[in-house]
Amino acid sequence: MNRHWLLRSAIRSLRGKTDGSSPVPPTPAPTRRSSGFSHFNRILFKDRAALGGFIVILAFLAWSIFEGTLQIIDSITRRTDYAISVLGGNPLALDFSHSLLSPSTNSFGLLFGTDYYGHSILLSILYAAPRDAGAGVLVVAMGMTIGMLLGTCAAYFGGWTETVFMRLTDAFLAVPALVLAIAVSIMVGTGFTSVLIALIIVWWPTYARFFRGQALSLKNRGFVSAARLCGTGSLSIMFRHIVPNSLDPIIAYAALDFGNVILSYSALAFLGIGVQPPIPEWGEMTSEGLGYIPATWWWSFFPSLVILAIVISFTLLGDRLQDVISGRSIS
Amino acid sequence: MQTIIQEYNLNAPLPVQFFEYLWNLFHGNLGLDTIYKAPESAIIAQYLPVTLELVLTGTVLAIVLGIFTGTIAASRRGSAVDQTIKGIYLVTWASPAFIVAFLLQLIIAYDLGLLPAGGLVDPSLTTPSAVTGFPLIDALLASNFSYFWSVLQHMVLPVLALAITTFGITTRIMRSSMIEALDKDYARLAYMKGFSKTQVVYRTAFRNAIGPIITLSALFFGTATAGAVIVEDVFQYHGMGFFTVQAIFSLDNVAILALTVIIGISVIIANLVADILYGVADPRVRLE
Repeated sequence: MNRHWLLRSAIRSLRGKTDGSSPVPPTPAPTRRSSGFSHFNRILFKDRAALGGFIVILAFLAWSIFEGTLQIIDSITRRTDYAISVLGGNPLALDFSHSLLSPSTNSFGLLFGTDYYGHSILLSILYAAPRDAGAGVLVVAMGMTIGMLLGTCAAYFGGWTETVFMRLTDAFLAVPALVLAIAVSIMVGTGFTSVLIALIIVWWPTYARFFRGQALSLKNRGFVSAARLCGTGSLSIMFRHIVPNSLDPIIAYAALDFGNVILSYSALAFLGIGVQPPIPEWGEMTSEGLGYIPATWWWSFFPSLVILAIVISFTLLGDRLQDVISGRSIS
Repeated sequence: MQTIIQEYNLNAPLPVQFFEYLWNLFHGNLGLDTIYKAPESAIIAQYLPVTLELVLTGTVLAIVLGIFTGTIAASRRGSAVDQTIKGIYLVTWASPAFIVAFLLQLIIAYDLGLLPAGGLVDPSLTTPSAVTGFPLIDALLASNFSYFWSVLQHMVLPVLALAITTFGITTRIMRSSMIEALDKDYARLAYMKGFSKTQVVYRTAFRNAIGPIITLSALFFGTATAGAVIVEDVFQYHGMGFFTVQAIFSLDNVAILALTVIIGISVIIANLVADILYGVADPRVRLE
C-alpha cells in the first residue's frame, strides 16, 4: 500500500514541477486528498479485510526482501551460507532419518512437518518466498512498463502505429495466459528466468490495453493541448503529462495482479515448469505432496495454504484500492 | 541422425523453417509428434472434443452460478448476503485450480466415495464408435446408456472444479452491471408501476444487465480452458490438458506449439460466437 502512496506523492511532485515551469494554468488537481496519512487511513483502516491483507503482504514482502538479499549475496560470493543459516536448518539437504515427520511444536523447523526427503516444510516455504515475491514484482513491473510504452504510443500517435501495436496485443490476448506461458517457457528452456520471461510475455498485453484506454481519454483534454501549444515534445507529453495522469486505476489493478502472477507462477510450478528440485517451490511442493495424501496431508496442505493466503491478501487489497479509486466508497 | 535432420528439414535457415511451419499450419498440418510419430492434428482431433465437452459444461455452469449469485448480491446490496457472496467469490477466485480440484477429489471421491476419483470413463465398459468424438454424444448416438452414465459421473468433479475457480469474475461483473441497471430510470419506472422488487430485478433489470456477461463469455471460456489443463492433470482426465502436461514432461515442443495454436483458435471462435450471441440478445447491436 505504501508503494501506492509513495507513487502518488511522486506523481504529485512531478505534476507540480511540470506545471510550475510552464506558463499554462496548472492542471486541475484532484480535490479528494488532504494529507498522506489520512489518505492511507481512509483506504485501509475502514476495511478490516483489506487491512489484514495488507499486513500479510507486508510480512511476506519484508521477509522476501531480507531472505532474497541473503540468497543473492550467497550466490555472488559462493562461499557464504547466510540464507540457510538464518533459517536455522537446511531446506535443501537430504535427510532420510527425518522423512515424513508429522507437524509438532518441538522445534521451529518441525512446525509444519517434513517431506519424504526430510526437508522441513516450513523452512522450504520460507526459502521459496523470495522467488514468488520476485516473480510478482518483476512480472508486474515489466508488464506495466512494456504495456505503458506500447499502449501510450499507440493511443498518442494513432494511425498505423496503433493498428500494429494493438493487433499485436490482441494476438497475445487470444491465447489463454497459462497456455501461452507454458508454450513460451518450454521454448525458452527450464529454470526461473524462463518462467519470468514467459510470464512477462503473457502479462504485458492487458496493461497495453489499459494504458491505451487511459491515454485515449486523456489525449484530447485541455492540459495536453496546452502542453502541445507550449511546444512540448511528443515524448515529454506522453511520459510527463499523459502517463502520470493515467496511473491511478492501473496501480489499483496492479495490486490485485501481483496475486494473479503468484497464482500463475505456482500453477506453472505445479505442472513442473520453472525452478527445478532441490530448490523448493510452493506449487511444486503441493504437486509432489499430492501423491502422499491423505496420510501425509501436511506436505501439500501448508504450501497451498500459503499460496491461498497471499493471493487472497492481494485480492482483498486490490479490491479495496479499486473501490477507493473509482470513488465508490469515499466516506 | 541424418534422417531426422532430413525429415524435419533442420538444415534450412530459421526464417525458412518458420515460413514452412506457417505454410503447413494454414494447410492444416501441425507437424509430426516427436513421441507418438503421428500427425499432431490426428492426436488433437482425438483429445479436443473431450476437453471441449468439459470446458463448455464448466463455463456454462460457472456463468449460471455467477449470474445467479451476482443478481442476488446486487439486489441486496450492502447486506450480509452481499458480503458473504463477496467473501466466497474472492476466496474461490484466489484459490489455485489444483487445490480446489484436489480438495474435491479428496473429500467427494476418496472420503465419501460418491463419485469416481479420476479418469474419463469406467475402463471396463466398451467404447462406442467415435462419430463426433464427444464421448457423451457418441454414447447417446449408440444408445449406450451405461457408458453415458459413467462418462457423466466422471465429468462431475472436473466440471465442478472448473466452475468453482472461474465463477467469481462472472459474479463480480453481474453484480456491478445489475446495480447499474437497477439505478436506471426504467427500473424506477417499473417500481412506480407497482412491480415488486423480485419482478423488477428478474424481469426488467435482468435483461439489461446480462449484456456484459455475454460479451465476456468468450473470456470465461479462455480462463476455463487454461484451468482445464490443471484440472485434467489432477483428475487424469484424458483430454487436451492431460496431453499438454504429458508433452511438457516429454519435452514434446511440436505438440505444445500445436496445442497452443489450437487453443488460440478455439478462443477466437468463442469470441465470434459471443459476438453473435450478443447480437441475438441485444437488438441494438445487430448487423444491418
